[in-house]
Amino acid sequence: MIDLNALRTQAADILETGEVGAVIGWRRGSRGMAAEPVAIVAPEEAASLVWDPTCFHNLALYLVEERKKPAQRQVHGGKPIAIVAKGCDARAVTVLLQENHFGRDDVYVIGVSCEGTGVLDERKLAQVLPGVEPDGAAFDGDNFVFATSEGERRVPAREAMMDRCLECRNAHPKLNNVVFGEETPRDFDAPFAALKRFEQRPAAERWQFWQRQFERCIRCFACRSVCPMCYCDECVVDSINLVVTPETTAAEKADRVRWIERSASRADNIGYHMTRALHLAGRCVDCGECERVCPVNIPLRLLNNKMEREAREAFGYEPGASIDLPALVASFRDDDPGQFIR
Amino acid sequence: MSSKKRTGVFVCHCGNNIAATVDVAKVARVMATEDSVVYSEDYVYMCSDPGQKAVIEAIKKNQLDSVVVTCCSPNLHEKTFRDNAQAAGLNGFTCEIANIREQCAWVHKDRNVATAKAIKISRSAVRRASRNQALEPIGIGVTRRVLVIGGGIAGIQAALDLANAGLEVVLVEKQATLGGHMIQLSETFPTLDCSQCILSPKMVEVSRHPKIKLMTYSEVKEVTGYVGNFKVNILKKPTYVDPEACKLCDDCTQVCPVMVPNQYELGLTARRAIHIPFAQAIPASYTLDIDACLGLNPVRCGKCKDVCEAGAIDYDMLPRTVTEEVGAIVVATGFDLYGQDNLGEYGHGKIEDVLDGLQFERLCSASGPTRGKVLRPSDHSEPKDVVFIQCAGSRDPAQHCAYCSKICCMYTAKHASLYKHHVPDGRAWVFYIDIRSGGKGYEEFVQRTMETDETIYLRGRVSRLYQENGKIRVLGTDTLSGQNVEIDADMVVLALAMTPSKGTAEAAKVLKIGRDKDGFLAEAHPKLKPVESVTAGIFLAGTAQGPKDIPETVAQASAAAAKVIGLLSQPRLTHAPTVAKVRAAHCTGCEMCVDACPYDAIHLENGKAVVNAVLCEGCGTCQSTCLRAAIEVKNATLLQMNEMIEAVLGY
Amino acid sequence: MSEQTPYEPRIVAFLCKWCSSAGSDLAGVSRIQYPANATPITVACSGGVSPQYILSALRKGADGVLVSGCHIGDCHYMEGNMHARRKLYLVKELLEFAGVEPERFRMSWVSAAEGAKFAQVVRDFVEDLRPLGPQDKLNAERP
Repeated sequence: MIDLNALRTQAADILETGEVGAVIGWRRGSRGMAAEPVAIVAPEEAASLVWDPTCFHNLALYLVEERKKPAQRQVHGGKPIAIVAKGCDARAVTVLLQENHFGRDDVYVIGVSCEGTGVLDERKLAQVLPGVEPDGAAFDGDNFVFATSEGERRVPAREAMMDRCLECRNAHPKLNNVVFGEETPRDFDAPFAALKRFEQRPAAERWQFWQRQFERCIRCFACRSVCPMCYCDECVVDSINLVVTPETTAAEKADRVRWIERSASRADNIGYHMTRALHLAGRCVDCGECERVCPVNIPLRLLNNKMEREAREAFGYEPGASIDLPALVASFRDDDPGQFIR
Repeated sequence: MSSKKRTGVFVCHCGNNIAATVDVAKVARVMATEDSVVYSEDYVYMCSDPGQKAVIEAIKKNQLDSVVVTCCSPNLHEKTFRDNAQAAGLNGFTCEIANIREQCAWVHKDRNVATAKAIKISRSAVRRASRNQALEPIGIGVTRRVLVIGGGIAGIQAALDLANAGLEVVLVEKQATLGGHMIQLSETFPTLDCSQCILSPKMVEVSRHPKIKLMTYSEVKEVTGYVGNFKVNILKKPTYVDPEACKLCDDCTQVCPVMVPNQYELGLTARRAIHIPFAQAIPASYTLDIDACLGLNPVRCGKCKDVCEAGAIDYDMLPRTVTEEVGAIVVATGFDLYGQDNLGEYGHGKIEDVLDGLQFERLCSASGPTRGKVLRPSDHSEPKDVVFIQCAGSRDPAQHCAYCSKICCMYTAKHASLYKHHVPDGRAWVFYIDIRSGGKGYEEFVQRTMETDETIYLRGRVSRLYQENGKIRVLGTDTLSGQNVEIDADMVVLALAMTPSKGTAEAAKVLKIGRDKDGFLAEAHPKLKPVESVTAGIFLAGTAQGPKDIPETVAQASAAAAKVIGLLSQPRLTHAPTVAKVRAAHCTGCEMCVDACPYDAIHLENGKAVVNAVLCEGCGTCQSTCLRAAIEVKNATLLQMNEMIEAVLGY
Repeated sequence: MSEQTPYEPRIVAFLCKWCSSAGSDLAGVSRIQYPANATPITVACSGGVSPQYILSALRKGADGVLVSGCHIGDCHYMEGNMHARRKLYLVKELLEFAGVEPERFRMSWVSAAEGAKFAQVVRDFVEDLRPLGPQDKLNAERP
């Protein structure tokens, strides 16, 4: 069990001593019981930090945002930024470090272990507790405890946990400056269980499935916006030039390659999502945020999981395992599979 | 945008070669409808003199700024037409070739189908050309010094040729002496002149040459830079003996208490921890083998230092790293023999009287462990029946090396002949698959060995050998008579396959040059560039590149030297300008291109990728790796690739 | 009006200029006949073929995409084909996973000496594509 007060004290301490300029964490939100991300800069604000099953956001996203806004660095005096990170979030920080997004000294990781549980899937909760809108959620051993108007409701965590958490193998943040919570043995679903089930289906059925999914995509780009790895200033689907410098010529502006159209059509939607999956290969840490925020419920994790498993099984590559690892697609091994080549 | 371009298209009939299958007039007509095309014609032979003149005229007359010639493979006439473009005042890189002969007219019969494909090929070239930039070749300054790696006959020959041409040479040898494997040989085929007698004068010449800096007991650890400008870090290992002070009195070896196998004699004798490889070693000095020494501590031993009157022994000598700047590198890192322990059927190298070819050379050598007497290592008796087995490890794709080691037929014949000269009443048997004796005087030599020296040649393989009653029982087949053969031999000599030396593998790694499937250094072209590596400025000599005999090695070494002399005689070098270029605004500094680049041509500067244009070879691996379209190869940009794909698909 | 032409697969073939493109030249010099369905785009190295090119070709209506490079160990740029092998393996897996016919994307190693092999690779590819009919899954259905 994580002692929230200890976490708050830690955050206050490092702000107090000036070791960091800001702490990115969660606080009580304004949308129902869900927590919301917050950046605090004063020690006294640490009291507002929370840690509960609704801390689903991958806060590494905000480290990325931080870097994109140099002006903001003035606020915390260019000091390192602390981030409260779950196992998956810490892996995301590792990938960002791999990609030189910032230096190891620029970030202070306050690890929080999900221990024997994970974060809440609100859609599942609606099925487990139909009609109930809890005011708060808390961890309690293997259970989630919800505060409702009719008192406490206790739900076994595995019944209301995110799918991603059920398959998680990195619930304890490996990369950290300080860590709260224990590394607890977990016994939920085998990694890639859903993926393996899906792969069993015949090709025609898989295509029908994806066709249905991608026809629904409205290209709101929520998946891209929430992803800490989608930090390019200009995305492959942007048909306008987003990166324009004084040196950019008119010809360059006119000549942007339009690999994929920005508007929603099946072919372009699938082109976009496939490109995204390929661009995330070896980088996606399966935080599952893209899937959580998708307004039309496209199971995006399945695509990313597929790449993650191939990276692991075909290339022995574990995204976010080490800062020193070269990128998956920037490296190779002599015994990479090649049987598919004629 | 592309309408600003003024592209000319020149469709070649190639007589009937293209025109018979492709409607060339139609190709020219369709190309004329492309946005960027302002001029399009077809002609019977574009590469003929009038054809070339027509291209130049058309460029001038129509103020063309880019050219597409749709004709044969760019390997044939790309240069021709780029030169024409240049002659007409354009930049050569604005000219593209569309290959509609080899890749179209010659491989299809249906005229409609072939014409349609020719149009797609031509159109994609037109689209590409319309986006081509004028590029100037990149100029590079040149360091007129050369590194030669390896001090065997190949390295020695290359170093001497280079130095005699006036270039400064740094010759690096891993061992404590020059000489390589050739110095271990007794006599050389087919003339039977003494190997040491012909090689040692060259070794002395190297050591005395004012242009050659000899670094023995040294290893190349790191090479950076590029053709004309390499920077090389060389580790000079300590010998603990000052060669200037050493008087070669041999007092030190008399007192040294440690005995280890002598690798120069291939383990047939022992030497002390402090030793000189052989009397004629260059540099003429002793080396203290630190792996064998009891410890550089006077308390533990210190006998050699005590006895050395010249004060040449210095236990405090440290390894030194020396940095040299050179313009070119010759790799002559030589071969090793295929390990006997790989050959289970021939006793795993565990039967004492089963020798390899080099060991037998030492037995025959007047300076060898037996002073030139052929004696069995096990009991020092004179062997009366000696079996020579050719292709031991060679030509056996299933279990060993698939290739022919090339020199074994000849040296086995030499061994048999030498043996018969040493032991006239002995019997020599040779098991062979074929006799490969191409070379001046080679076939005659083999015939002499068979006839005059009465060597028994058996065509077939030895299936097994084992020890029995102090003899080695050799079981084989004579495939010509169909008989099984059993020989009770006193000695067996294996003509082991030649494999790339350990140093060759290391050199390939340090220099980042390719190796072939067998591990030998890969030449840039198997026929037309036999001494060049794929990396500009790095050349190959000797058996590091593949099995070869001494004359061939010397020829290749001289050829490599000639190539280096040619290269370094230019005041400036040029490098193709079709290199990667970073779009800094898009670059996030993730370093994926840095990791992916096979040439280490990319590094980060202020968080952005920067390409060293001289190192970049334009392969495009960075371009396909970058997620942010932040790096592209000039004239093969993402935009160009996209438009070529569109052109092919009829957009 | 002519009757409807039978379906002919359209293939975009990315060929390494050092090996497969030279191999196709050899097929030409040897006059080895093979179907005209594959239009070559010569690239410096198979390692330079971005996954985006393949998706893009399919989006633009290619029925099949071929990438052909040097045999492992023979890359002119030492290791470009090793990068290609890894990167394009992921593309292949992803396409298959999404239910796109795996036959649509093909990779081969064809050396400059393998003219006959090049012809055979194209022949096989065309034959394998024919029964699948036009590629309409990733095709943006434009001209």
